[in-house]
Amino acid sequence: MTVLLAAVMILAALAALGVVLSRQTMYSALSLVTTVAMLSVLFLLLNAQFLFAVQLIIYAGAVMVLFVFIIALLSPDVEDRPALDYRAIIGLAGVAAVTILVFVVARNGVPYNDQGFRAVQLNAACAHLTTSHPPCDPYSTFSFPVDAVNAAGNVQTVAGQLFTNYVFPFEVTSLLLLVAAIGAVYLTRRSN
Amino acid sequence: MISANLFPYLLGLAAFLFSAGAAGVLIRRNPIVVFMCIELMLNAGIVALIAYGRFLNSEEGQVFAFMVIVVAAAEVVVGLALITQIFRLGRELDVDELNEMSD
Repeated sequence: MTVLLAAVMILAALAALGVVLSRQTMYSALSLVTTVAMLSVLFLLLNAQFLFAVQLIIYAGAVMVLFVFIIALLSPDVEDRPALDYRAIIGLAGVAAVTILVFVVARNGVPYNDQGFRAVQLNAACAHLTTSHPPCDPYSTFSFPVDAVNAAGNVQTVAGQLFTNYVFPFEVTSLLLLVAAIGAVYLTRRSN
Repeated sequence: MISANLFPYLLGLAAFLFSAGAAGVLIRRNPIVVFMCIELMLNAGIVALIAYGRFLNSEEGQVFAFMVIVVAAAEVVVGLALITQIFRLGRELDVDELNEMSD
């Protein structure tokens, strides 16, 4: 499982680099399809089955078909600069810096209010182990039970939140989609 | 079953995707590729939300990731309509050339 996760994450990162660095627009689109597919597998490994399906249907299905259709329609030129000029190198250095920074911070925890996120996590994980004779080190050994959140099933759980606590944001997103559809029709109408 | 010590790697992946998308928005000149890089940044947000939701034992991360996907779909629809309209006006597809508002 860990090997699969590592392979998926490395492939997603490489395909993301392909999106940024490809000179052909169509290659960028195909790299983005790869990234999206790999991320959907990642969601499946993280027990987000509903979002796995949504990611495949909406991103790899609808959004990427729209991108490829627009690329085929407009057929933009190949950019006339080398793929790795000084701007790309500066950008890649920034990408590496941000990634390493976030990884180190997440690894060591962010101390705030004398209890960082990691401390909270450790306490929550060790809460039920009051009489453990080896010292509780859940951050390295504890793996969260699969059914802790998804006891009733992933779709039921997400839908339960979506239609009770978050029903107002859900309705607002429907309004957003309506506005986007009207805006797209307005923008692409043939002016007379 | 994924152990919790993989959580920093997931956040690192999210940071990598976001910063790669941001660098692409700054570097690339083709507006279609710029929109793809914005999609990368939104995907990074989704990854971070789902990872946090998984390792904090909360399903609300998935709810908000769902909202982000909806917003990304709406953004792509309007953005590609704009690109199509720019192309129809006979303009070159280059974000460095579209600078009327700054002149």
